[in-house]
Amino acid sequence: MSDPARGDAMSSKYPTARERGLIGCDCCGLVCPSRRADDGILRCPRCGFALHPLKPRSLELTWAWLLSAAILYVPANLLPVMSTHSVLGHEGHTIIGGIHELWTSGSWELALIVFVASIAVPLLKIGALALLAITAGRRSRWRQRERAGLYRLVETVGHWSMLDVFVVVLLVGMVRFGVLAEVEPEIGLLAFGAVVVATMLASASFDPRLIWIDDDDRKRG
Amino acid sequence: MCDDRASLRAPGRPGRRFATIVTPTPSVEPVQAQPAVPSAARRGWIAHPELVVCEECDAVYARRALSAGDLLRCRRCGATIGRGHWLTVDGQLALTLTALVVFLIASLSPIVTLELRGQHVVATLFGAIDSTWSDDPLLALLAAATAAGFPLAVIGLRLWVLVPLRTGRALPGFAPTMRALRWVLRWSMVEVFMLAVLVAVVRSAGVTHVVPGPGIFAYGLLVLLLAAIQTSGWHGLWHLAEERWG
Repeated sequence: MSDPARGDAMSSKYPTARERGLIGCDCCGLVCPSRRADDGILRCPRCGFALHPLKPRSLELTWAWLLSAAILYVPANLLPVMSTHSVLGHEGHTIIGGIHELWTSGSWELALIVFVASIAVPLLKIGALALLAITAGRRSRWRQRERAGLYRLVETVGHWSMLDVFVVVLLVGMVRFGVLAEVEPEIGLLAFGAVVVATMLASASFDPRLIWIDDDDRKRG
Repeated sequence: MCDDRASLRAPGRPGRRFATIVTPTPSVEPVQAQPAVPSAARRGWIAHPELVVCEECDAVYARRALSAGDLLRCRRCGATIGRGHWLTVDGQLALTLTALVVFLIASLSPIVTLELRGQHVVATLFGAIDSTWSDDPLLALLAAATAAGFPLAVIGLRLWVLVPLRTGRALPGFAPTMRALRWVLRWSMVEVFMLAVLVAVVRSAGVTHVVPGPGIFAYGLLVLLLAAIQTSGWHGLWHLAEERWG
């Protein structure tokens, strides 16, 4: 590996709970010794939350949700998310089409917001989580602090992708003029909602502590 | 995560501080005259209330009191470890009760009224969910849960936790409620819904005449209230419960 001296310096500079035989509760924050296990499952004595040094099966679950999100991303963007019905006929609208509509109608600010929330955020989220999962799987020491920041960013912006789901549900409830104008949700929107939920579950499954576990850490146990 | 009770004191100078690192010592068990966490001691555990562990990288720090406005961040990974809060339990309870009233106004009153060639349509949150239900029930459920169900659960669970802390009379299920609260917070998306209302209004303004209703303003207020409540401390509630009931 790279530099053993650096690893030692890191570990003495930042003592972890695991090294000291302690465990912090993810729910209430209480710090307890980690060795005591009565019935196999370690539970926080204060709040009863299951205590894990790391989230169980974190990487497997992250990959499973990420793959589902990546697959569903294709129909979510290709299929129409809603259709408008009027005397002029039926018309399907995709997410890109909705952004184009906002752009040409003059509200480019909203077009930009919807583009970021619906196209950019899900893609970047899938990419960022894949990067985090790959580097964590290899116990990489590459830019650990930046990767920790990236994870926090993914957690913060994740739910904003739900924007388009709400927009269509609202339009369905708002535009109800019978034969004059009607809006209906289409199958693409369900796929899109599933992408958002899957990416949120993927980032919830990922354990950021994996970023900081390197080979030295593993040898020490 | 650190001493949220610091909020009871006068507000200090706000600022960002980095957490002090516990110097590594050979001995792990600190000497304790008496167990400071009664609930843990009753189950035969020696807890370490003087320590705090970073949730995102597992680094150990010494717990310290924070004044209002302080932000304690992990030196190793930059995660927020603790915050000094301005809001007391009374303040939190007041905001949460306000949020409940505002939520009812937001979800029951019209968000917008649309007009097209003499026809009027009043759009409410539940009206929109109801219209979606007939076409796509799964989608309607997703929208109903994230825009109304989980936000209401956040308010309800907060009240279930705060009311006993205020009155001193214990209600059952403090720990499960706190655990559930942690979970529902992630799925409550009122701020996204608020932005969606604006986008929907702009998109339908091309074909119809749109008049904003009271619901839209109530939703805006609800976003602010929930954000304020959300930053008002979490681990401090555990300390208070511990002090009250042990």
